[in-house]
Amino acid sequence: MNASEITLFLVELSIILLFARGFGELLRLVRQPVVIGEIIAGIVLGPTIFGTIFPEAFNKLFVQSDTISIALHAITLLGIVMLLLVSGIEIDLPLLIRQSKKAFLISMLGVTFPFILGFTFAYFFPHQFDIINDEDRLIYALFIGTALSITALPVVARTLMDLNIFKSEIGFSIITSAMFNDLVGWIIFSIILGMIGSNLGYGISAGNLVLLLFAFIIVSLLFFRKVFDYLFGFAKKYLSNPGGILNIIFIIGFSAAAFTEYIGIHAIFGAFIIGIAIGDSVHLTEDVREIMNQFVTNIFAPLFFVSIGLRINFIQDFDPLLVLIMLTLSVVGKVLGSALGARLGGFDKYDSWTIGFGLNAHGTIELVLGTVAFEAGLINERVFVALIIMALTTTLTSAPLMKYFIEKTKTRFTLAGILNKEAILISDNSIMDKKLLIEKLSEKLAEINGLDKKLIFNAVWKREQALPTGLENHLALPHARCNVKYPTAVLAVHKRGIKFDSLDGKPAHLIVLLVTPVDKPELQLELLSGIVQKLGKKEIIDYISNLNSKEEIVKTINQLFSS
Amino acid sequence: MFKKIGLAVTFSPNGLSLLKNARILAQLFEAELVVIHVGEKDSDKEIKMNEMILESGLKEGDYSLVWQSGEPADTIIDVCIKEKIDLLVSGALEKEPLLKYYTGSVARTLMRAASCSVLVLVNPENKIIKFNKICVGVDYTPLNEIAVKRAYKLAQLENAEELILVREFQVPGLAITISDGGNTEETEARRLIWQKEEEMKLKLFAEELNLTGIKLQLVCRYGKEGWELKQYAQQSGCDLLVIALPSNKLKFFDRIFKHDIEFIFSQLPCSLLIIR
Repeated sequence: MNASEITLFLVELSIILLFARGFGELLRLVRQPVVIGEIIAGIVLGPTIFGTIFPEAFNKLFVQSDTISIALHAITLLGIVMLLLVSGIEIDLPLLIRQSKKAFLISMLGVTFPFILGFTFAYFFPHQFDIINDEDRLIYALFIGTALSITALPVVARTLMDLNIFKSEIGFSIITSAMFNDLVGWIIFSIILGMIGSNLGYGISAGNLVLLLFAFIIVSLLFFRKVFDYLFGFAKKYLSNPGGILNIIFIIGFSAAAFTEYIGIHAIFGAFIIGIAIGDSVHLTEDVREIMNQFVTNIFAPLFFVSIGLRINFIQDFDPLLVLIMLTLSVVGKVLGSALGARLGGFDKYDSWTIGFGLNAHGTIELVLGTVAFEAGLINERVFVALIIMALTTTLTSAPLMKYFIEKTKTRFTLAGILNKEAILISDNSIMDKKLLIEKLSEKLAEINGLDKKLIFNAVWKREQALPTGLENHLALPHARCNVKYPTAVLAVHKRGIKFDSLDGKPAHLIVLLVTPVDKPELQLELLSGIVQKLGKKEIIDYISNLNSKEEIVKTINQLFSS
Repeated sequence: MFKKIGLAVTFSPNGLSLLKNARILAQLFEAELVVIHVGEKDSDKEIKMNEMILESGLKEGDYSLVWQSGEPADTIIDVCIKEKIDLLVSGALEKEPLLKYYTGSVARTLMRAASCSVLVLVNPENKIIKFNKICVGVDYTPLNEIAVKRAYKLAQLENAEELILVREFQVPGLAITISDGGNTEETEARRLIWQKEEEMKLKLFAEELNLTGIKLQLVCRYGKEGWELKQYAQQSGCDLLVIALPSNKLKFFDRIFKHDIEFIFSQLPCSLLIIR
């Protein structure tokens, strides 16, 4: 590279990063994934817009110099290698191995359903995907199946965070299934790449390549995993921290990437698998992971995502029918497969749809997969564009659709969700004994939910006698675990106040009687903790106990719990 | 709390110490004591065993003795089932050699596979182990509630200085939220909210179980489950770690892809009581 090429190359990098950041931030403002902004930045800078309006400037900047193109290609390759390394690090293998039956069903059906659908469609209708050569049919069908079964973990994680369901059963199931999808998807894809590699005549037969691939996976995950753990323990103790660990991670990551590239599978696969082995170390703390993610996703990943748009003309290669086919296959396969898995696993229908749409975000990982397949000559521009549009559309629609369904279900597990105006009792001052009040509330709860009032009262009273449930600030929470399917509650407002043996000795004005399933002790604690956090302040209890209508009380509680 | 205690004993310096500890535990729980020795019975060994029992302070009538030959771990487990033992006491090394850890030593096999509760005394050479600081892992399962209640009862009986309930939690994939427009402050803030929620749950859990009359400490730690508990027990100088473990939960695969309990088994931070 001469001085002018170096200058142009650096200007190019600055422009790419500037546009990536600009569009990324714009998308972030409207609460959409940043990666979509980065792709749009590529489309704007690439032949689709900038290249059409200013062809000369575009050529000079991005096309003319072969040396610059090679340098940019090397950097974007580095970007995806690092992206896959950090993706691998976030795969929690022990978690996948001991995942519950529920999560396993979602993971399995979420992968197999779209895979079979995509494979079958591509195999029997190859002309739709411009496959003329019959020999390529199998590899191609395998690729389409894999492309449809992959889920983008980063986008999913972000959405779960935004919807505030990360630390919930649904969030946990979605995350573990997304990890599983990624793992299976990348293994199948690496086999496909191996098959292409052997077709291209790398000197290793497809069978041997697959054997080599599995040997690499097994040695990395069984043996290297242990070695890395010791290595990181050593680095933490004796090297500068976290610099030493970060350095070692990249040395290992690049070496593994070089190895898989050498044997004829793409470099990214080595980075991904070794990432899993690295991520299992107990010495790899959350802050190190976050630093890596910051570094990779803010500098190198944008270069890669923008570069996608620089390669092709999205208008010229846009095929609406193909996009429609891809989208239909994706939604039918991924959403239905995952939702069915969730339903079979015991989730209700709304939770199942939430999980289905959550896992349908193809996002970043699909873009990497598509780019590698495009570079390997497996797919043409038309299919590549369709794949990207499918990835972007599913990513964009995932969060709103999840939100729609989650709002229908998550309330069940807060007081606001299980309380309606029939469950409110504004007590006259005739009841001044807590036993009597608990009896009255038990009766109300039993009546609303079709339960045995004696059973409810006995359980709640037994618990109350063991340890009084009067808390501070005029709040009391009599509760018990009974033979019920879902948690249920009734609320009493006692204007004068009733003695509940509270911690601060004050009478209770707000009394919530809560009954939860006997086999879910943690759910009881979560509900109780939520009630204390939302209602446990004096001013809130004073406000509610001064309300005179049941509707107003329910409305206030809904507002408090939605904040 | 425990009605019948089994003690797996060998002819070693640890054997005598285990006998002494088991005698005291049997008195503490007012339980029967069954001394189990795996091996062929002959007159020499019988004399040796009687001497050891005598030296430990056990008197005739305080215990029963079972001789059984066979593979040590399996035989002990079988005797426990046959004798309806509800607490098996055994000694163990703090850390097994690597290969032994994977192939499974007698003590580790008992921890993983015994159908009753197991108390593992770490390096009990010539000392009576006193449980002053008892730490319990909390996961809110019904079995865990039993484990906490038993730890509390034990703490009362032992007149322990402190009972510590440790809740570990982790949200897999959290760091990757940084990838798409997230930032470390937001992640940290969310982690703090979860930490507060967990602390509140733990407080309510302790209240629910009515653990009064003892110094109680509640600890919530974010990190890999099992590993955090082990680290805490080690760092805070606990004498006993109590965990709940359903029967047949652990398989060989769990040793390869180590998780929660196996982190503790691979290097015992202190003596360990496994409640089943």
